[in-house]
Amino acid sequence: MLVYRMESNGVEANKMNPLSQRTHGLVSSAALLAMLVSNAWCGQVYETTSVYNHIIVEDVAGTRILRFNGSQESRMSLQDSTRGHFQYTEILQLPVFWNPAATNVLMIGLGGGSTHRAYQLLFPEIHIDAVELDPVVMKVAKTYFGVRESRTLKFHEADGRVYLRRTKQKYDAILLDAYTSTRYGSFIPHHLATTEFFTIVRDHLTPNGVVMFNVIGNYQGWRADIFGAMYKTMNSVFPNVYHVPSTESQNIILIGAMNEGPLKRETKLRNEEALLKTYPRLPLAFWKNTQAIQSVVPVSAAKSPVLSDKFAPVDGLLNAVPR
Amino acid sequence: MARAAPFAKFLHAVEIGFRISRSSVSVCFVQTAFILATVFLGGFAVMVLEIVGARYLLKDFGGAFYVWTSQIGVVLVALSAGYYVGGRLADRSQRADILSWLLLCAGGIIAGIPHFAQRLLDWIVLRHPEGEVIPQFWIKVDPALGSAVVFFLPCFVLAMISPYMIRIAAEKLEHVGSVSGKIYAASTVGSVAGVFVSGYFLLDRFELGTIFRSTGLLTMLLGGLCWFIGWNRTALKPTR
Repeated sequence: MLVYRMESNGVEANKMNPLSQRTHGLVSSAALLAMLVSNAWCGQVYETTSVYNHIIVEDVAGTRILRFNGSQESRMSLQDSTRGHFQYTEILQLPVFWNPAATNVLMIGLGGGSTHRAYQLLFPEIHIDAVELDPVVMKVAKTYFGVRESRTLKFHEADGRVYLRRTKQKYDAILLDAYTSTRYGSFIPHHLATTEFFTIVRDHLTPNGVVMFNVIGNYQGWRADIFGAMYKTMNSVFPNVYHVPSTESQNIILIGAMNEGPLKRETKLRNEEALLKTYPRLPLAFWKNTQAIQSVVPVSAAKSPVLSDKFAPVDGLLNAVPR
Repeated sequence: MARAAPFAKFLHAVEIGFRISRSSVSVCFVQTAFILATVFLGGFAVMVLEIVGARYLLKDFGGAFYVWTSQIGVVLVALSAGYYVGGRLADRSQRADILSWLLLCAGGIIAGIPHFAQRLLDWIVLRHPEGEVIPQFWIKVDPALGSAVVFFLPCFVLAMISPYMIRIAAEKLEHVGSVSGKIYAASTVGSVAGVFVSGYFLLDRFELGTIFRSTGLLTMLLGGLCWFIGWNRTALKPTR
């Protein structure tokens, strides 16, 4: 914003008299200096530009923040790396509620790796394949957000769909949180949001496997069409689609599964028991989220299209008039 | 005039009417308008193929930057080759028959993209053994191969329109500057329209198949227009 204002002043400067031009030069160099100093004050830790993103890592009031192109991607408390994250990432821990014996999870989209870190801590035996397109994001997550490659966490530099189509591995859960973010909004890569893509996903899931998709949107109003379209698209492949809204931000996690899983009472009791045995130290937030699973068909789904490779106007839907 | 179809005869009659009523200046005006419309629509079709094509390739090659890089690169290679070959052809025969046939074929290819392209792209992607890491070289070059097998030929033929039209429109050497300037401008304005119309409108409203089929139809129509322009030129000649 500051840079922009300076540039516009520069245009006007051409019309000014020489004296005010000189003052203007002083003012703008002072502004530049102020900007550099304020960057340090604002706690900017790292800044770089990759092929895909302008990445900034900054520390604000004890929280480390990852920004892509100006929009917040990830947060982490500097005192305790298991805290300070966006609440929606906790919902992505729910796959074990479907299958307490889950061993393999695919995560598409890395960001600051909140979900990855949480999995390593809570479910240390679950093997994670972490797919990320941007190698610089990978480097930043490793360096500044403490996501470590380990025996059970492997990084893959690839496009999610290309990777999934070519792998033989079956997964107990496939988690999608891949966006292109700017100040103009968060854009879903259209090829990760179509019927054809979810068919590839289904073919790589174990019988009790689930797919979870982070939709940035609401039930009504802002981006309701995107949410409705995503619901319908997932439902065209998965007979059971559920959703869990984030309590703190405008995110809704869509869950697609081949069976009702823990939404059936007997399975629920059985899985809860198994979870308490395998993971006795699951946090309260996890159990709260198991209570928040919704199965009602969202209103916006009625008017939204099913997205396909042939027709996926995800960018256009974003700008649709809110109903 | 033995080859002229009834419709062409009709148009010829219309032009004779023009000639009688308004002198030959009007006829030139009509001819120029047809030529500019043709290069405009040609430029339009190329950019629809480029933008919508990149979208089409993304599902197979992923969101990697290389898809855009290769789509832009391949289309530019096709354009430069088309300009070169088109110019040579135009000098050899000033009748636009060959170009018409080529455009008809190119239109067929474009309309056929939703039917044949997937098999070619599958072959490119799936030739790498499953589960094995693809070498960095192929990660970069595969999207270019994909762009080339699907979009090279149509763009190559569409690019031939401009030099051909310059050859037909430039009757005198002194006018080559302004004639070619006009044609470049019309073609580029067409391309600009193609970019924005596809990006802002087509992708939000229509299925990819519909867009490709319509662009194919448009290209075939351009074949007809080129044939008409070429015929018109020979028809006009004896009066000068």
